[in-house]
Amino acid sequence: MACPHLDYRDSDGERQFDTARAFCTVTEEFVQPVHADICTERYGLDPEADCEVYRAEAGLDWDE
Amino acid sequence: MTYDEYLDGKPVVVTAALTGGIQGKEAHPDLPETPDEIAAAAAAVEAAGAAVVHLHARRDNGERAFSTERFQAVTDAVRDATDDVIVQHSTGGTAAPDALRAEPLRTDPAPEMASLDMGPMNRGRRLTSENTRDTIDGLHAEMRERGIKPELEVFNNGHLNESFRILDDLADPPYLNLIFGPGTLAPPSPANLQRMVDQLPERAEFNVIGFGPHQLPLTTQSLLLGGHVRVGLEDNSYLRKGELATNEALVERTVRIAEELGRPVASPAEARDLLGVESRR
Repeated sequence: MACPHLDYRDSDGERQFDTARAFCTVTEEFVQPVHADICTERYGLDPEADCEVYRAEAGLDWDE
Repeated sequence: MTYDEYLDGKPVVVTAALTGGIQGKEAHPDLPETPDEIAAAAAAVEAAGAAVVHLHARRDNGERAFSTERFQAVTDAVRDATDDVIVQHSTGGTAAPDALRAEPLRTDPAPEMASLDMGPMNRGRRLTSENTRDTIDGLHAEMRERGIKPELEVFNNGHLNESFRILDDLADPPYLNLIFGPGTLAPPSPANLQRMVDQLPERAEFNVIGFGPHQLPLTTQSLLLGGHVRVGLEDNSYLRKGELATNEALVERTVRIAEELGRPVASPAEARDLLGVESRR
């Protein structure tokens, strides 16, 4: 499983990469490698629980 | 580890942290990520005067990797590209399970040094690097078994206490890395650095990291206090405001400042003697 907002792209229109990289379709930015572990649900991380961007997009407060 | 040592012209060990595990090419287009890129950066910083390279591994897409296999590819490439530089592997890994954290210690040959995070660090709203005492002791035991010199990562003043807890288990000299920056890290200021140095045991050697704009002033202060220095793109992307750095340029600047201040720069062999590191070259 992975975040529904995660895409892998080799370009954002300005920069080009040899290997496609994690891209957030909400922020329209490439994702930091440390954050990509949340997007990809590695190590028990989960976008719905752990990602500020996902939760804001879903209208979730942190105390919900 | 004192101002007197500075006056005596004690050699300074320069460590270059080439990659890190936080940001990637989205933040800095020339951040080395692949084994070949990391090896080229290692060769450049060794030529510029770095005695130690601090290494992380990545997947092909730039995401973090902790496996022995990935670290083996990086360390092999670095050893092939360099003459004598000391290889230090990171065992850090925000949110990564403990089992993975030990994998960088299991390359063949083992790294000469490895980082040992001495306590928790928060990142963002929900990410944390727990670094329980159990984790620390497990990693430390494996380092001892494999003859790897630990560099104790002191994220804040409380981690000095955590370092003192294992002091008797450390071969001389204990090597503590004092880290200054945002969030859970020690608040960056010259006074805070001086206070932390004042609390170190007599037999310890210390190194200083300053994140971002604090890299230049606090590492320079370390030179005056008889300490050692880490620079590189893991900790700081900019040479000066608005100008992206390279690992090589950051090391060159440190070497220039050290020499101006009268601290000769330690060769890898001198660094092994100073820090008690077993050669695997």
